[in-house]
Amino acid sequence: MFRSSRYPGQDRPQEPQPPRVAAASLFLLGLILGLTGGLVYAWLISPVVYVNASPARLSERYKDDYIYLTSQSYALTGDWDTAQERLAELEEESLPQRVAALFERYLREGAPAPAVRNLAVLTQQVGGDSPALSLFGPTPRPPQVTPTATPAGSTPTATLLPTPSLTPIPTRTPQPTLTPSPTPVPTATPRPAYRLLSQERVCEPDEPAPRIEVEVVDAVLDPLPGVEVIISWEGGRDRFYTGFRSDQGPGYGDFTMTPGLSYAVTLAEGSPTISGLRVEPCGEDTGGLPGGWRLSFQNLELNRPTPTATPDQ
Amino acid sequence: MRNWYRSLMWISLGLLLGLALGLYLGWVAWPTEFTDASPVILHEDHRRDVTLMIAHAYVLDGDLDAARRRLHALDPEAPDNWLLTLTVDAILSGRNEETEIRPLVTLTHDLGLESPAMAPYLDETTTDDVQE
Repeated sequence: MFRSSRYPGQDRPQEPQPPRVAAASLFLLGLILGLTGGLVYAWLISPVVYVNASPARLSERYKDDYIYLTSQSYALTGDWDTAQERLAELEEESLPQRVAALFERYLREGAPAPAVRNLAVLTQQVGGDSPALSLFGPTPRPPQVTPTATPAGSTPTATLLPTPSLTPIPTRTPQPTLTPSPTPVPTATPRPAYRLLSQERVCEPDEPAPRIEVEVVDAVLDPLPGVEVIISWEGGRDRFYTGFRSDQGPGYGDFTMTPGLSYAVTLAEGSPTISGLRVEPCGEDTGGLPGGWRLSFQNLELNRPTPTATPDQ
Repeated sequence: MRNWYRSLMWISLGLLLGLALGLYLGWVAWPTEFTDASPVILHEDHRRDVTLMIAHAYVLDGDLDAARRRLHALDPEAPDNWLLTLTVDAILSGRNEETEIRPLVTLTHDLGLESPAMAPYLDETTTDDVQE
């Protein structure tokens, strides 16, 4: 019997069968290709387009604009219920913080004063907190004055903060006669035009700095030129205006102090009087030489014309 | 030939299933999250409300460019038509005159749009009413 030496033990060559794994591989290949194609189509070519959405779907930029519009609408209509409903549509977990942040942004960017004021009102209504809110509320909040060493033997003659609303309003006085006469309206303590923003030491490592530096800014923190500053001391008085040192900025002015005298500084248009300012030695870490004081005042009137242009909204 | 047919069948089956799975994932399970959605996607009620707020803001700030830009974001194709329709609807449906009709009429008029329905409100409502 003939036997092939080529295929020992076999009558004929066995036809190669596709392994089972090949079918699974082809299926898997098709699955991956299909999945990729499906995702590309669904995500990139024809993504889901939401319609009839709520304001919660808006981008951050449009959400900010929505909040701004809500503040404006609330300012015009005074309808707090509607304003609340509108804000609730944003579904923001930290709405007060968001509104406060938007208010601060508008303030920083120098937006028109009414717009900032309306945002401040909305921030207060939703319970947001911001240090700058003290500019707009009925009771200005205490400014955060940097703690500095109080000059020895001196006592400030006035608090640093205006407190107009804390003035007790007298009750209406009963009229003794039946003759109708106008009852005098109790007047509140006039609100100072400026508040003290900060009080810091002036120290220079290489030379003495016996001077009082005054920086005046407006409500939106832009420098204010031409503000009259009054310096007084025992037996003397002088004044200067901000903006005459072009190298220091339009809101800056300074005064050279005489060692041994105690000075008081106030702004002519109305501000707290900062007294007990003396030439004192600075700390060792700042040179140890005699130094002065730097005072920053902020105007509290938002409608005061500011020298900068308003930004785009 | 038979093997070729069988291979084609398996890869086609995989493609179909993969495609279906991909579409399900992309459209339903993990749809694209737009991070820059504009007001044009808002429900019509919200778009009406935003339009009214735009009119309120315009009455207060007098910024016609900003109002025009916001209206365009609401309806990029026909913002004027949208505003005019809304204003006339507010008039005809007797909405609150002070808080809705007049602000809308002011903005519509200042954008150069006119309608006979607005005439009764235009005698007093002019651009001078906008609080600068």
